Amino acid sequence: MEVATPEARASRTRGPLVFDAIGRHTISFLEHLGMYFGLIWWMVRNLRNARESGTNFFSQMVQIGNDSIPIVIFVSTFVGMVTAVQSAYQLYSWIPRSVVGGLVIKSVLLELTPLLTALVLAGKVGATITAEIGSMRVTEQVDALEAMGFDSISFLITPRILAGVVMFPVLVVFGDLLAVLGGLFGAVIVAHIPAGAFLAGMKSSFVTRDALFGLTKATIFGYTITSIASYQGYYVSGGSAGVGKATMSTVVLTCLAVVILDFILASTLL
Amino acid sequence: MITIRDIRKSFDERPVLRGVSIDVRDRETLVVLGRSGGGKSVMLKMILGLLRPDSGSISVDGIDVLSMTYPRLRELRFKFGFLFQGAALFDSLTVGENVALALRRGRAKDELELNESEIADRVSYSLEVVGLKNTERAMPANLSGGMKKRVGLARAIVPSPRYMLYDEPTTGLDMETADEINVLINDLRTKLGVTSIVVTHDIHSAFVVGDRFAILDGGITLTTGTRAEIESSTNEDVRKYISSSLSTSRTRLT
Repeated sequence: MEVATPEARASRTRGPLVFDAIGRHTISFLEHLGMYFGLIWWMVRNLRNARESGTNFFSQMVQIGNDSIPIVIFVSTFVGMVTAVQSAYQLYSWIPRSVVGGLVIKSVLLELTPLLTALVLAGKVGATITAEIGSMRVTEQVDALEAMGFDSISFLITPRILAGVVMFPVLVVFGDLLAVLGGLFGAVIVAHIPAGAFLAGMKSSFVTRDALFGLTKATIFGYTITSIASYQGYYVSGGSAGVGKATMSTVVLTCLAVVILDFILASTLL
Repeated sequence: MITIRDIRKSFDERPVLRGVSIDVRDRETLVVLGRSGGGKSVMLKMILGLLRPDSGSISVDGIDVLSMTYPRLRELRFKFGFLFQGAALFDSLTVGENVALALRRGRAKDELELNESEIADRVSYSLEVVGLKNTERAMPANLSGGMKKRVGLARAIVPSPRYMLYDEPTTGLDMETADEINVLINDLRTKLGVTSIVVTHDIHSAFVVGDRFAILDGGITLTTGTRAEIESSTNEDVRKYISSSLSTSRTRLT
């Protein structure tokens, strides 16, 4: 049987090679998309089997949630401070300074905390999930689970995705609170805005719908990051080099998915 | 009984198995010999449905594996123990938890057939059988290669399987540890009466544990038979394989 090397393909192709490349990449993309949705479909259909994973769901909640708190504290606080300082800088002198509070709460709830938390966790949580499951794949631990009679998708992937869906909104609520505190600190200390004016502006601009929109985004980002990372790890090939490659592509893909979804959600839900 | 008929498998258009047929009789140990990368491990995984052949058939106790639904396939896997080449232990679990996992397989906590103290007893007994008494709390990362293989073996035998599949059980081990693993394989057959398939390229170990032998080369079955039958084979390729394997084995021994 002939193996179609790039040279062999090139010799058979009539016309510019760019069409050949576009065709191959399109087919490969569609193959991956099909396998991804196949995996998710399997997970949903066999949700019951996830009970066999025992405490795995709770340990994943700790890993995704608790272990991410330090980075969320750091990012959210600074995002809040920067937003307050830059908002104050951009306002004309005749605009009331209390508007800064309104700008901070709107920006933080609607966009900054959910998006930046997701981008940071795409690197941290996404890379960890791909590396863990990928290492298990190349050292035959996934095969060992199946050989023992476990449903490996329900055992490894379902708890991670469920933990992501539950913990991302929790982290975003936590991040929102810290960003507001950071904003207050930046407004008072750096921009010299009275705390009362900042809080009054924040209170007058707060709408519950904004907070719910942020939480909806966090839930969707949580699902997206953990599911893409799990897929990349589960279907890894090529030994430890393959795990490294898959981990890197998880970070890239999840970041891209997050910003694209961010636009789609803003366009459709606001 | 396990019956494999004319299985074929290609990876990325590269044929690995090109028509392998093997019968494994009840309570015997069949050793599948062949060069590294010859598709032996692939064939082993196909028996459990971990990989699907492109064509051919596999049956266990007369039931076709390839047409099984996933729930039935899981039930079938409960009859098997599998020792992986690198032992495939879970790094985040202790030795005891690794072995116990095989007793919790496919069951939620409230559906387990054994209670926790029975599970602990079974785990302890299995570790004792493989010569690793009182190692339940050790972490796999702190074990040698030979010890990991033993833990893998304890995990494979703890649910008392009817069939054992061994993937390169002695690869990467020193002669002394390899001999200890061979003794364990023989003990398991005599004590538990399991039907076993051992995949290896180590002909020295093969002759220690095997009742019958199959030689794979170039993706096909060159021959099957007892030691006497394959050693007296008139097939030139079989004679060449055995003589080169024996000389490699002798070099290792010296």
